[in-house]
Amino acid sequence: MSAIVILTPVIIGSWPVITAAITGAAAAMGMTVSEAVRESVNEKNKEKVEAKTVEVELEHSEVVAKNLSADKEMVVTKGDIELRIKRDQKGRCTICAKGIGHSEVELKAIAKEFGEKLTQVYIYNKVMTELKNKNFQVVNEEVNDDQSIRINVRRWVD
Amino acid sequence: MAQHEVEIKISKTGEVKVHIKGAKGKACLEYAKWLAELVGAEKNRQLTSEHYEPEEKVRMDLKQNLGLDE
Repeated sequence: MSAIVILTPVIIGSWPVITAAITGAAAAMGMTVSEAVRESVNEKNKEKVEAKTVEVELEHSEVVAKNLSADKEMVVTKGDIELRIKRDQKGRCTICAKGIGHSEVELKAIAKEFGEKLTQVYIYNKVMTELKNKNFQVVNEEVNDDQSIRINVRRWVD
Repeated sequence: MAQHEVEIKISKTGEVKVHIKGAKGKACLEYAKWLAELVGAEKNRQLTSEHYEPEEKVRMDLKQNLGLDE
């Protein structure tokens, strides 16, 4: 018997789980996780160079952050673009994009793209962990031209 | 022993399409439920033609002897 199921992703995880996905998404998009760069960008801001800022909320996300203060954040950068991913007061994951010489539309698009990649990496990490826990054997794994990830797994049952 | 296969496609936006093969009846639906709980919310479910096939296939060859060969 066979079934095809379409699932909408929901991100519910602790801050360490989210940061693992952020790191993965940053690497996939050629971005760097760096506080040091963030400081240097801030230095530029101090020089009164105007940088636009756009904030995008990650849909269907909830950062379970026991014993962690709100507004915990992680910074990724690429060139003069800075993304701050944080847990807001409501516990949702938000992405704040900032960059000198970029329009709000461009920054929003970058933040959205990063959010999608973050979601994809989070789901990939979660699915792979659970498949291994259920003793599935990975037969094939590939990234398609449309950036989707295809995973084929199997297991033998009595 | 039966082989259960699952094909998982995670789209660029994180949407997940799961194709469960080989699991019969209740087991198939349990996989669907497990993956839905793991990923998020179920948006759509489609049972393929394979789903409606009987678990055990019985092939019967019927031959009618009309006595024309003799």
